[in-house]
Amino acid sequence: MTTDAPIKPHPSPKQYVQIAVILAVLTGVEVGLYYIEQAGVSSRIVYPTLIVLAALKFVIVVAFYMHVRYEKSLIARFFTVGFVGALMLYTVVLGTFGVLAALGG
Amino acid sequence: MSDIAHDEHLHESTGIETRKLAMWIFLSSEFMFFGALISNYLLFKGRVGYPEPYPSEMFDIPFTSVSSFVLLMSSLTMVLADHAIHRDDQRATRTWIVATALLGMVFLSGQAFEFTEFVLHDPPMKISTNPAASAFFTLTGFHGMHVLIGVIMLLTLAGTSFRKGRLSTATGLNLESVALYWHFVDIIWIVIFTVVYLIK
Repeated sequence: MTTDAPIKPHPSPKQYVQIAVILAVLTGVEVGLYYIEQAGVSSRIVYPTLIVLAALKFVIVVAFYMHVRYEKSLIARFFTVGFVGALMLYTVVLGTFGVLAALGG
Repeated sequence: MSDIAHDEHLHESTGIETRKLAMWIFLSSEFMFFGALISNYLLFKGRVGYPEPYPSEMFDIPFTSVSSFVLLMSSLTMVLADHAIHRDDQRATRTWIVATALLGMVFLSGQAFEFTEFVLHDPPMKISTNPAASAFFTLTGFHGMHVLIGVIMLLTLAGTSFRKGRLSTATGLNLESVALYWHFVDIIWIVIFTVVYLIK
């Protein structure tokens, strides 16, 4: 009938809710880190941690909610090409203008 | 019949439905678009010597955190709608689509409130106040516009569902494609929330 069927079975509604709880907790931790930095903890510790947490949330949504983990590898390739291409391009741009050095404190 | 209609949307060589493939290619290009706007903000947020206030002085983090939470939860309701239509549970599909649209509208209302607060503040922060404000309004405004388009697509799906009694996966605006778009809008906000709001 169709060749568009997922490679692996998708998560159940219960698992989707569990993923949402993880995302909510990660968001809470991010906000907590913002206030920890306000209280005087070095941004050299807080900012990289915030970026790691955002990357984790990003990957969770892409893998589980956008089903990249369960689909044909071609889809993951399309996604990766767009994302990595943009990341590389703008890292070079921001690096050229010295913005990344400024973010690093 | 529906199988035939479905097969008409299949890409011959990839085995991936054409509409889904088109949405992935579109989203892939959207990374460039939002990458440019985020880079633009990062480039201008540190520029001093312009009239104040700057965006980072204006942010209400608790309020924006709630907005972020709302958008994250809309991804949950969206994926539940997608799950329901694959089980052909039309009632649940409709319920989760409407819930997602409502959460999207709550997020947009929050953004409208935030923008209004900035503009009515004394001294006001408008799009023309300084380059950082200009970059901020452009970035978050375009993201908001994407959310609005998503809400319109969701309401169109909901309207179709109410009118015809069921949503078809074979023809017309496809729930799976709309879901992909919606989750994309969510992941872009995940980046904006951290890079723009939480990192000074």
